[in-house]
Amino acid sequence: MKHLDQYAGIFWLVVGGAVTFSSFYYGVGSPSEPGPGFITFLAGGALTVLSLILFVASARSKSPFQRLSHLWAGLETRKVVYILGFLVVYTFLVGPVGFLIMTFLLLFLLFRVQGSYSLKNVLLLSAAATVLSFIVFDQWLGVQLPRGFMGYLLF
Amino acid sequence: MEMLNHLLYGFEVALQPLPLFLCFIGVLIGTLVGVLPGLGPVAAISLLLPATFHVPPVASVIMLAGIYYGAMYGGSTTSILVNLPGEAASVVTCLDGYQMARKGRAGAALGIAAFGSFIAGTVGIIGLTFLAPPLASMALRFGPPEYFAVMVLGLTILIFLAGGSMVKSLMMACVGMIIGNIGMDPISAQPRFTFHTDILLDGVGLVPLVMGLFGISEVFLNVEQSLTTRKVFETNLKGLLPNLRDWKESIGPIARGSAMGFFLGILPGGGAVISSFVSYGIERRLSRHPEEFGKGAIAGVAGPESANNSATAGAFIPLLTLGLPSNAVMAILLGALMIFDTPPGPRLVSLHPEIFWGVISSMYIGNAMLLILNLPLIGLWVKILKIPYPILFPLIVLFCLIGVYSLNNKTSEIGLMLLFGVVGYLMKKFKFDGAPLILAMVLGPLMDKSLRQSLLMSGGSPQIFFDSTICLALFTIVAVVLFVLPLLPMISRFRKKVGEVEESP
Repeated sequence: MKHLDQYAGIFWLVVGGAVTFSSFYYGVGSPSEPGPGFITFLAGGALTVLSLILFVASARSKSPFQRLSHLWAGLETRKVVYILGFLVVYTFLVGPVGFLIMTFLLLFLLFRVQGSYSLKNVLLLSAAATVLSFIVFDQWLGVQLPRGFMGYLLF
Repeated sequence: MEMLNHLLYGFEVALQPLPLFLCFIGVLIGTLVGVLPGLGPVAAISLLLPATFHVPPVASVIMLAGIYYGAMYGGSTTSILVNLPGEAASVVTCLDGYQMARKGRAGAALGIAAFGSFIAGTVGIIGLTFLAPPLASMALRFGPPEYFAVMVLGLTILIFLAGGSMVKSLMMACVGMIIGNIGMDPISAQPRFTFHTDILLDGVGLVPLVMGLFGISEVFLNVEQSLTTRKVFETNLKGLLPNLRDWKESIGPIARGSAMGFFLGILPGGGAVISSFVSYGIERRLSRHPEEFGKGAIAGVAGPESANNSATAGAFIPLLTLGLPSNAVMAILLGALMIFDTPPGPRLVSLHPEIFWGVISSMYIGNAMLLILNLPLIGLWVKILKIPYPILFPLIVLFCLIGVYSLNNKTSEIGLMLLFGVVGYLMKKFKFDGAPLILAMVLGPLMDKSLRQSLLMSGGSPQIFFDSTICLALFTIVAVVLFVLPLLPMISRFRKKVGEVEESP
């Protein structure tokens, strides 16, 4: 493929096709009695057609050849991958482990990803932000942040 | 006289301690996010939305509105001092604002931006005060076909004005429509696209979606670019009061920017960004010294900054009178009002006058607060601008995590936000605009309902959409916007320019 929009066109074509097809499962109905899948059928169908237009137009475009890797050229994308990884782990563990421990660890790692601050400062900053956010949101605003196993010991 | 009574009632509501305090907090946070590049009003409102669920609806909406117009004020500071737009509507201010700062006139630029914003903001609110009630009573006559037609028009104009590829914007509107209809069907109660999970049964939440698309994705994009410290221009921040010559050169641009910004703000998708561009173009054309534009002309700061503030007031008109959002911020406000069980629309003024008039009156107060806040606190904003991004972004992430979790105390919503964060990151890489997606997502269920109701009423005949004059007129405008306007060379040049600006970091 010579143009980035062709990748996007194919992706949305698959999504649009899947939505249009699935709408029949929910029941498209008829114009006089539209079913639950009526609007998604229309939207999915339109997305399919538009994706095709995008794919064909970009295939015929005379703009210079573009590789997918151009999108990430000269950028520090591994940092994005690290952050996403930390956040995925956080999502799974914050419930069982608890807000205080997990948030402290997450902030510690996030501060380390980009900054070049001393270990002591990062530890202090992470601890301060974690405790302060817990006090403001949990204790003052009444948001029930996950206690985790620490809950049995502390609360 | 009746209008004055309503307005006084609004002031009575807005001057209560809690709404007044939250109005102050709203404009303060708004200015802050306006000042900070990489964090716009959409992200800030979505971050704070969950926190407002603990206060009465009127106070909550007052605060959220304050963030929106506060951000328009704050955006100019960064443009002038750092040559980086704090948010998209201040892109044009960089051109002459930064040049003024380089010539040692940062104070005058900041001052005229603040005064212009105040004057235009107030003009916009006066327009809102007088135009919204009659429009709301007219909208009471709208049936499902008219509503459907208005929503189609709103989406079309937004797509048209979004800049960049129209096909891509239309695609995003379709995706938004699909996402908006995930969950239980309101008519048959059948679950749609839930993948047999409970998480999606109530639909995709607006908060995880916008926080992911606008908050987390922005963090990803900034982190990979290694934003560290910014160079802040600090010359002559003293004389913030513009001199007589500055006023003479600015009063015309402020007046024109106020009027035009307000009307462009009413248009769906028009909003602050477009109005600031149009204002700059007009001022350069009208100026006796167009060659000074781009080299530090004060009119190039006064006009656009007035226009973008006036536009924020105009944007409230379709939301409060028709219940239709004209941009992504208004879409989130619509979502918030629906969560509070006070859906906006023509009945809002009679069913919940405290919200309708309270919000309008609070905007007069908020504007005055902003003027008082902006000038003396300029030193503070400069200090905040110096906070390095490596310190800032973990805190933004923390806010997103707590905000999205606090909605329903579910970690699955954090997962949903991350998913949309990745989607938003890729969308920006492939140059897809998020605004049509958000608007279509919010309008999706309403459009589904009004379309199906209309078709049920007519026994399946699409003729119902052409029977009433209002529908016919609206669909004619849709056709012109989609098929005729893009062919005009002047219009396509303008769309390309807006597209380039919205894509720039």
